[in-house]
Amino acid sequence: MAAIEVEGLCKLYRTRIKEEGLKASFRALTRPVYKEVKAVDNISFTVEQGEILAFIGPNGAGKSTTIKMLTGILHPSSGRLSVLGMDPATQRRRLSYRIGTVFGQKSQLWFHLPPMDSFVLLGAIYDIEKAVLKKRIDELAERFEIGDLLKTPVRKLSLGQRIRCEVAASLLHSPDILFLDEPTIGLDVVAKHRIRELILQMNREQGTTIFLTSHDTGDMEQLCRRAIVIDHGRIILDEPVKKLKYDYMNRKIIAVRFTGEYKLKEIDGITLEKSGRLGARLSVDTRVCSIDEAMRWLIAQGGVADITVEDPPMEDIIASIFEGGGQSLGGGR
Amino acid sequence: MAKLRKYLVVTRISLQNVIAYRSSALGGLLFYSLFIFVFFNLWRAIYKGGEVTGYSLTQMIWYLCITELVVFGCRSGVYNQMNDDVKSGSIAYQLNRPYHYVMFQFFNALGNMVFNLVIYGILAIILGLIMAGPIPGFSFASLPFALISVFLGIIINFFFMITLGLTAFRLEENFAFYLIYQKLVFMLGMFIPVEFLPKWLQSIALYLPFSYVAWAPARLVVAFSWDLFWQVIPVQLVWALVSILMSLGMYSYGVKGIQAHGG
Amino acid sequence: MHKHVVRAMNVFRLIGLYFKVNLASALEYRASFLLQAFGMALNNCSFVFFWYIAFSQIGGRIGGYDFNDVMFIWALCSSAFGASHILFANMNSITRIIVSGELDTFLLQPKDVLVSLLCSKTSLTAWGDFLYGFILMALTHGGDAQAWSMFLLGIVIGGLLMTAISVTAHTMTFYLGDASLIGSMALEFVINFCIYPEGIYRGVVRVLMLSVIPASFIVHIPLKLARHFSPGLLLLLLTVSAAYCCFAYVFFYRGLKRYESGNLIIARM
Repeated sequence: MAAIEVEGLCKLYRTRIKEEGLKASFRALTRPVYKEVKAVDNISFTVEQGEILAFIGPNGAGKSTTIKMLTGILHPSSGRLSVLGMDPATQRRRLSYRIGTVFGQKSQLWFHLPPMDSFVLLGAIYDIEKAVLKKRIDELAERFEIGDLLKTPVRKLSLGQRIRCEVAASLLHSPDILFLDEPTIGLDVVAKHRIRELILQMNREQGTTIFLTSHDTGDMEQLCRRAIVIDHGRIILDEPVKKLKYDYMNRKIIAVRFTGEYKLKEIDGITLEKSGRLGARLSVDTRVCSIDEAMRWLIAQGGVADITVEDPPMEDIIASIFEGGGQSLGGGR
Repeated sequence: MAKLRKYLVVTRISLQNVIAYRSSALGGLLFYSLFIFVFFNLWRAIYKGGEVTGYSLTQMIWYLCITELVVFGCRSGVYNQMNDDVKSGSIAYQLNRPYHYVMFQFFNALGNMVFNLVIYGILAIILGLIMAGPIPGFSFASLPFALISVFLGIIINFFFMITLGLTAFRLEENFAFYLIYQKLVFMLGMFIPVEFLPKWLQSIALYLPFSYVAWAPARLVVAFSWDLFWQVIPVQLVWALVSILMSLGMYSYGVKGIQAHGG
Repeated sequence: MHKHVVRAMNVFRLIGLYFKVNLASALEYRASFLLQAFGMALNNCSFVFFWYIAFSQIGGRIGGYDFNDVMFIWALCSSAFGASHILFANMNSITRIIVSGELDTFLLQPKDVLVSLLCSKTSLTAWGDFLYGFILMALTHGGDAQAWSMFLLGIVIGGLLMTAISVTAHTMTFYLGDASLIGSMALEFVINFCIYPEGIYRGVVRVLMLSVIPASFIVHIPLKLARHFSPGLLLLLLTVSAAYCCFAYVFFYRGLKRYESGNLIIARM
């Protein structure tokens, strides 16, 4: 059964334009000028129960607007929307018992209190019976390894610890769907990895459907089987992550620093993007040249002082999707 | 002279800042008018009930206009500023700047106060004229002398507030002191002229600084006499000096604390 | 009817829950809690002093009130303000919550948005205001049962009316983009009309105090009832207060619709 069904979803914002100055303020009062912005433009997709879906795109692409419509915070301008068989706009309260949300920057936890107090309050807000709640908290505390943190005021927790508590809080009422909006933003590598593992585990063991928006290509690669890429309010790609990876994420950026003057002999699959006196940025097409090969080649050039390997940023991947299917991202920037 | 210029620039910038915050300035004007209106009604009702010593109703309304002017004129947020600077520790960064922190705060607030005094002064005159009309026997010639007293009242109030804000150096919770100070000014002059107090309290009040913030200037404006002037101004000067010295003393005492304990 | 009773019970339960969590949060700072409450009570004492002086100057009545009458409206205003800010301290932050998008958190929960929003913060100094009213009542009215019962009823009504005033003012944010100034001033404005005898005002102001500025319903009518009880006046008080609160509630939810449509003009703060 489908957990989320979206058909022809649109969201139009009508914002009043106001120019600078007092005079303009008065004019805006009597004759307001409106500007229409299409934040979400006719998108359709289906998410099956138990799926993990990445919903990705650059800033302002319409990710947040979509997630807000799916959870009932915003009402669509047009289109059909069904989440667990309910219409979020009219049945927000009923739906809220069955979905969980972690919105990166916004906390559900009380800053000055230990998470345990927030958990008890949330338990009551979601009408969970005391005995059931206690069992659930114990279970989540064990799984998320937050047993010791539950008695520490939130303000004293690290960001990674806080996010783990946040995710646990959103799972108290055993939701069928978990919406995660930028869950790993600002976390270090270890904490990111931890959160991702926990999300995967939730999905495997409880069959929770996961709907995730992120900026981080790592989130998508390590968590999701399928990704929807959205830009300017439109879906530009809806594919298994595997294919996306093969088609578009076939590039690594290597930044290298040398001990002295250097000379590079280009080989197939490696392009020089930028070069300075003591360092260079290289783009590696991993379909032609594996990272292993690239490293060997680089070491062979001699005099290497430092190497950093990175994924290209999300913005570049999306740009390359626009440029047309299947191309390598190599070169030309 | 060059040293003073530095501070005057601070004043100018803070003045521009207030003008930028028009809306909150508007709120202040509204509340000033509201207070005057409410107390105008209240005193009118009180005067209907019986004789009141020493002030006619007209004088009483003008008295309120002036005392509120002193208090609203001082609303520069200096207490909160000091408190925040000390508690957040950002004062540590200000210590090694090429100016004296207390003086910086004074000139920073000065822009605010000049603006407030002009604006509230105009409003006070308008409201006073509408609600009470001109004071019988008022002499414009003595007004400048009364204004000296208004100025001194503001100085005393300002430096006491700085002193109180700086107690945050040594005390976690100093808000209660602020409240007590504010209420003493309130009770010993701002809403009630000293003449209304019981005799025993009057004699105590005249030895304390609180009445010299609002009562003395307002009394001089509504009922000027040279006797009162020569009685009040020296005391105000002494309290102004004391308050400035106290704020400087509190500052260096606090700074020593920071240096000793490492912030 | 039954459904409404259940819903009302749920709201009370929710308020109670938030109260407990709030109190726990406040008690994290025990020393500052006591000091702030004490400071606020002291703050209020200066007004008693003012009235004491005013009455000793002329004796008798001011604006139709004697000293005890004035103390009654003072006590009531203080305790109603205290009660509303112990339970609903977030009424002062509604604009900030809307503008910063924090409102989403409440929209995602299965409980009444406005109630959850209002309840999720408490004020420490409010305890001082709340208790102060009781002390003042005990000192001036001793065991006067009629005065006490009107005082207690007045706290409930006054507290709700004060909350309704703040909510209405801040809800303008949904329409204007930023109503923080109106929001922060509205209640203080009304309270200024609550703490003096209504008899000092004339004509238009008296009418305003019975309508747009519902000051008379917060303190002056409960005082009248405490002195000369009349069922008709009580009924009027209850009806008008209920209507006022309903208006604020509906006004908020109407505004919320604009938020949900996403067409809100949010001014950058």
